[in-house]
This record gives sequence, C-alpha cells and structure tokens, in this order.
Amino acid sequence: MTIDSSTATSDTISTADASAPAGVDILAERLADVWVELEERLDRVPVLSRLAAGTVTLHDYQRLLFNLRQQVVDGSPWISRAASNFDIDHFELRTAAIRHAEEEHRDYLMLERDYVAIGGSLAELRAGRKNLGSEALSGYMFHYADQPNPVGLLGAMFIIEGLGAKRAAGWAARFQEVLGLADSQVHFMRYHQDADSAHTGDLEAILTSGIIDDGAADEIVRCAQVVARLYALQLEELDH
Amino acid sequence: MGSMATAYLTGFGAYLPGDPVDNDGIAARLGGDDAVTERIRRRVLDANGIRQRHYALDEHGEPTELNEELAVKALQAALDDRGIRAEDLRMLACATTMGDVLVPGFASMVHGRLGGGPMQLLSASGVCASSLAALDAAVSKIRLGDHPRAAVVGSELSSRSLRQRRFDGIRAGMDSHFLRWMLSDGAGAAIVEFQPHPTKPSLRVDWVRQVSLAHEHDVCMRSGMSGAEPSVGRTWQDVDIADADAAGMFVLRQDVSMLDDLAEAGFRQFEELVDIGLVDVSHLDHVVCHYSTNAFRDLAFDALSRRIPNLNTDRWYSNLETRGNTGSASIFIALEEAWRTGRFAPGETVLLAVPESGRFSFAFAHLTVVAPPGHAS
Repeated sequence: MTIDSSTATSDTISTADASAPAGVDILAERLADVWVELEERLDRVPVLSRLAAGTVTLHDYQRLLFNLRQQVVDGSPWISRAASNFDIDHFELRTAAIRHAEEEHRDYLMLERDYVAIGGSLAELRAGRKNLGSEALSGYMFHYADQPNPVGLLGAMFIIEGLGAKRAAGWAARFQEVLGLADSQVHFMRYHQDADSAHTGDLEAILTSGIIDDGAADEIVRCAQVVARLYALQLEELDH
Repeated sequence: MGSMATAYLTGFGAYLPGDPVDNDGIAARLGGDDAVTERIRRRVLDANGIRQRHYALDEHGEPTELNEELAVKALQAALDDRGIRAEDLRMLACATTMGDVLVPGFASMVHGRLGGGPMQLLSASGVCASSLAALDAAVSKIRLGDHPRAAVVGSELSSRSLRQRRFDGIRAGMDSHFLRWMLSDGAGAAIVEFQPHPTKPSLRVDWVRQVSLAHEHDVCMRSGMSGAEPSVGRTWQDVDIADADAAGMFVLRQDVSMLDDLAEAGFRQFEELVDIGLVDVSHLDHVVCHYSTNAFRDLAFDALSRRIPNLNTDRWYSNLETRGNTGSASIFIALEEAWRTGRFAPGETVLLAVPESGRFSFAFAHLTVVAPPGHAS
C-alpha cells in the first residue's frame, strides 16, 4: 500500500474556490467501479454464496458474527485516531470523524447481543481473535489513520458504510428467511441499513462539497480499493 | 418489531417416582383403610379409571423426594434427550400447584438444584393449566428471539397432602375424596428452541392459548380457605395454623357438582378454536388431552367428534390410566410418552388440551411435527 498522503492531502481543501473540482464526477465513477468489483468478489465469498443459495447454517451466521465482532470493536478507535490527525484546515472532516466515531462506538454491543441471542457464549466471543483478513484490515486502517490528514479514509468509509447501507440488511433478511431468526437476533445487520445510509449520505455530501481535490480523490479511490479487498478477505478467512 | 423466530420442542423428559402403585397399593401409602373410606375409594377409582400411578412416598407413606427433585429429574431427562446441558439454557419456566416451600418461588428452587448458568425464571402457579402457561411464556420468549433455548417443566408432589394425617378428625366429603384417590406425583419437561432438532424430528409450536372464565364461575378446586369464597381474616394465613388444620383448610377439595359445567365450558372453548380457524379440523391429526378422570374421556371424545368427523381412538391420546393424574405435569408426561413411542409422524398436527377446574381455565397448544433440517417432511 502506498501512503504518501502528507503532500497529497495537505492541499486537499480548496477553501477559496466555490466551484466543484473537475474530478468529482470522475471520483464517483471510480468509486462505483471499486464497488462493482467488490460486489463481484463478495458473490464468490463462500459464506455469502451459501447465504444466497439458502444453504447457510446457523453455525455460519454465528461464525460470521464472531469474526466481524473482532474487527468491529476497532471501528470507533480508528475513526477517532483519524479525527485526531485532521488539522485545523480540515476542520469539517475532523467534525465528521468525531461524530461518526461516537455513533459507531457502541455498535459492537448490538452484535454481541445478537450472538448471545442465537446461543453463543459472550465470554468466548470476547476472548476471540481477529481472522487473517481482519488483522490486515484493522492494521491498515490504524496505519492509515495515523497519517496527517488521512483524507483517503473517506474511501474506506465508502466501502464499509456502503456494505452496511446496501448489503447488511439484505443479508439480515436472508439469514432470517433461511434460518427463521427473529429481528432481535439480527439487530446489528438490520441497524446498519439505516445508520449507514445516514453515514453514506454524510459521505456523499463531503465528496461533493468541493473540498476534495484530484490528489485526495486518488487517495480516496486507492483506500477504497484496499479496504474493499481486505474486507472481502475478512469474510473469506472466517476463523483462520 | 417485524419478524419473529419459530419455537420448536426438541427434547422431552418425564420422571415418575418409585415403582407404579396399583389400586391395591394405594392405602399402604395414603392410608384410609377403614371400611367406609375403602368403599369410597373403590367408587372413585371405578369412575376415574386410573389403574396405576406413582407416589414419591415409600411403602409406609413417608416422602422419598422433594417436588423440586421430580422437576429436576424430568428436566435432566429432557436435556439428555436433546443432547444439551443445563448450561445451554437461558430460561426455565416451571409449573406446579404447590412447591415444596412457601417462599421462594418454585422455579428458583428448581434452578438452584438443576444448576447451569444465569437464566430467566418463571414460576407459573395455578393448577393443571399452569403447565401451558409456562410453555406459553417460554415459547413467546423464544419467538421474540430473546433466548435461544428454554426448558419448561410441570411437576407435582401432591401425595403428601393426600395422606391420612391430613384427614384425621375433619369433615371430608366427596369434594376431597374425589381428588385424594385421583391425584399422584410426577414431572414432565420439554426443551424449547428457536431451531429444530438438527437430526431428529421436532414439534413446532404453532400457538398457545389460555383462557380463564373465572369472571363468571365460582371456585371449583381449592385449598387454604373454608367454603368456596375467601373472606377477609378467614384464609389459612389469617387464622392459627392449628385452627386452619382442624377446619380442614389444608385439604384439597373440588366441588364435583361443577364438573359438568367445566366440561361444557371446555367444549365451547374448543369449538371457538375451530370457529376462529386456529384449529383446522381437516388437518388435525392428534389430540393429547388432559382430563382428570375417564368419566370425562367419553364426553370429551364425543364433543370433539362432532367437529372432527375423522377423529378415532388412534388419534386420541392420554396416559391417565397408567400414569395417573399428575396435575400440571400431566400434559408433558403424556406428550413425552406419545412422542417417545412414535405416535407422531412429520407433517402431522397435534392439539394439546388442558382444562383446569380451579376456577375454570382452559389452555390449548397446537403443534406440528417437523422433520430435521434437510429432510423432506
């Protein structure tokens, strides 16, 4: 991964120019391409193809929650760390990151309740470790968030919040349909449809607000590509 | 909230203490071997049709176990049948008419003896229908997705209060003899889960329904008061214990003259289930009915046959004659035996029916036999 953002991001805010940067439309298209590629990859992830085929088991759902939990607990911390690395010239992004971190702060508790509600042991869940993909994803996020003005993380948000907004509720509904689960056993995935739709709306506003320049756009796309790959890896490497 | 989970009965257990006691062995346990009592007993036994039962009493009439022990043994049998441990349970719903002690609640004592981890408890009191009240609570929490696994148990140890010492020197008419020679001990349990048994058939709980008609009926079965109406300052808790005892307040009594009304009210409740579509008589395969005496068997069978033309004796199940009337445990003991002996096949439906004379309560549950996942039913 290339994290040479200190130069690229130092001039990402064009405070004087009120007109939208020329690359904004292209940024949306480039992110859409990353998304399409991610969706194709997700279709091949074993647990998700079993979910689509209706052959998924309760054990699959339990292991998915178990694996996600180990990375989800890191979500708020890396966003907080990113927030602390936005300087005063990136005040709006700092504001957005602080708010977002607070909102994500207790998400993992919802996941833990779901896990217990389907018969899992909270003690075992909390004693779990990250899988290979989660290690890579979490390591990358913290590393990137440590950079000065880590604007590229908007690309990470695009992927992670997009999965929550566009895919999680569908997964929840399908798990419910196949396994006969109650709403209160799929809180985490259902909640993210609404919460992350709000977040992706916020993200959309930032991406089109005119504060992203071409260099930052490249960072955002690159970060989205890396996070998309590592997120899929996390789903591929369940329990590894 | 939108979607709910489904509740399945996945394990069954029953515990009947000691060896079966036939009709000739009752007096050794409960006393009452004078000629008059003997005559009444024969009459009651002829009417109720019970041929054998179990008592947690030794051959001298001394208690051998606690009610909570009966409950735990039935629960353990149900857990073993399902292949899980008490640690896997998150809720325990217990039904009994009278626990061993006044305080704390029966479920607390059963949980304490059973072990396992932290769990939600319910002590359903009442009489026979408390069994399905406990089942309803467990099923509801499973369907809400609040718990993955629960256990339900109905347990009774009424025999100790049926012994002669309770009857010495007090007026004991047919209202007490009727129950004295009918009730016996035992416990039955079931495991409730949000997933079917992975490798064996399960019973899906389609609904549970309980209705009280106490608003329009007097007390029919009672203990702890004189007469049919409790009055201020006159319950067993108000007067001296010795006075309460002498007044026969601790004798369990039933106003047998009300039982025809009870049966009629029960049939109307069943008719209502059919009328509102909860029971589809063209797809009802089995009826497991709790009734206190065989005298009601033929009445009930006739009443149900009016609405279920294809009901025949093969589809009607009760083990009253061999397991006795064990109150709140009866329906689970019957269900366990029906299940274990292979009466039900995947796809078939089962109606559980529990009329309660206490003050006119009626409980029903509708079940469907489902094959294990991956097996067509």
